[in-house]
Amino acid sequence: MRRKIYWVPSLLALAIASPAMANDLNINGFLSVGASMLDVDDNSNKTLVAGADNQGGFKQNTVLGIQIQKQVNDTTSATGQLVSRGSDDYSTEAAWAFVTYAANDDIDLRMGRLRVPFFQYSDFLEVGYAYNWVRPPGDVYRVPFSSIDGIDFTQRFSSGNLDGSVQVYYGRFQGDFDTQTDVYAADFRNFTGVVLSANMGNFGTRLSYHQAELLLDISDPTSVFSQAAAGAAGISTLLADPSAAEDFSFEGQTSQFIGAAFTYDNGTYSAVAEWTALEHENSLFLDDQAWLVGVSARMGVFTPHLTYSSEKDSFDSGNEGAIQELLPLQYEQTSITAGLRYDYDSSTALKFEIQNNDETKAAGIDGDSATLYSVAVDVIF
Amino acid sequence: MKLFKHSCSALLIAMASSAALAETSVIVSNSNPNSAMDQTTVSKIFLGKAKSFPDGSQALPVDQDEGRKAREAFNTSILGKSDSQLKSYWSRLIFTGKGTPPKQSGTDMEIKTLVANNPNIIGYIDSSAVDSTVKVVHKF
Repeated sequence: MRRKIYWVPSLLALAIASPAMANDLNINGFLSVGASMLDVDDNSNKTLVAGADNQGGFKQNTVLGIQIQKQVNDTTSATGQLVSRGSDDYSTEAAWAFVTYAANDDIDLRMGRLRVPFFQYSDFLEVGYAYNWVRPPGDVYRVPFSSIDGIDFTQRFSSGNLDGSVQVYYGRFQGDFDTQTDVYAADFRNFTGVVLSANMGNFGTRLSYHQAELLLDISDPTSVFSQAAAGAAGISTLLADPSAAEDFSFEGQTSQFIGAAFTYDNGTYSAVAEWTALEHENSLFLDDQAWLVGVSARMGVFTPHLTYSSEKDSFDSGNEGAIQELLPLQYEQTSITAGLRYDYDSSTALKFEIQNNDETKAAGIDGDSATLYSVAVDVIF
Repeated sequence: MKLFKHSCSALLIAMASSAALAETSVIVSNSNPNSAMDQTTVSKIFLGKAKSFPDGSQALPVDQDEGRKAREAFNTSILGKSDSQLKSYWSRLIFTGKGTPPKQSGTDMEIKTLVANNPNIIGYIDSSAVDSTVKVVHKF
């Protein structure tokens, strides 16, 4: 990529004098390492870190991300982010890989592999340094995939104290859908959504709507959803209402996700409230609502924080709901997360966290409670 | 621990007194058509929320090196954020490909030379280092 500035001496002078931003290859990275220990023998609890046990573990909390960004020309840049997760046996995935075309200062078009912007913290889900938790509470951050392939459009706006953006995206997710009990091959089509975010002074808000047509391969007869579908067919026969079992399948029925978040940060005290709801036309996924409220206080290098989170499934009406109630599908739970972040320097944070998760219902029956103790070191570079 | 506390408070006092004495100037090139800018405008440019000057020309903010007094003063007074807060702010943008922080471009003298030679660059230096090669658009 040699530029033809050599012909023009004045431009050459400018290129030397400027910090040559347009030509830079930006390399950034983040690394989280940590250990977790559960206070119960077996981790039947699926909301807390997968694979954690009472023997302590280091692997589940380890995440390494490397990002390379290159400004290709005045309007176009390329960004790639590779993430390697201990919870995934360190297999490396492109969390982001996209080309950005900046139509002007305020409009960006991106195409490639993008993060699904479901949640307040979706965009930087794995950049532990960017938030106070060791990881966002799993009862709210409950969607087991985070990237799609597609295109998005972002319009930024700014007026006085107010600034924000509108993002619209369209794409498709094809990949593994890991429920921690089973792994299904997923194909989520016509995946689309809109995100509005705005900040004014210390206040911020984010509203989002998403929908997709869900196809999930449940042909493995030992999988939970395969057995639930068979169970639904049986029960509907007993109820003399075979049509009630029709939607116990994944044949492209639409699912919707709605999210609303509010943030406050005055530099010392900060608060976040996030509410989300999932509505599924298929009956194997239960509709649910989940929310969290968190507060934190920055006291020099120490930031203690406290978060309450909750998730509750609900049944469909009629015979569909009656069948759902008999199958091992329902979850209902709350968590309390208390932690302390210590900023060792401006690129390193050390975190301690205790998370108590109380499952009222797990897989349709009465659940247990468990406490997870975690320490983590988050570095950005 | 006691020693640590003492050195911390000594440091705080030193920082507070130097901040009280030193005045910092936000500077642009003499060939930059923009004159005075308020704190909000400067802050938006340095936080990547605005990419142009009020007249519409492209704005390229440059930071002093980490640890410089002028940088700490600028972060606190203009951006209202601590170093860690800023790191966290930028980490949210960097790792989503939405922005990159201003380049660390040296000290008063180096920043002044950069600014003087490029009408798009905006920086800040200790007011005592200001001379006729650059134009002051904001002081604090």
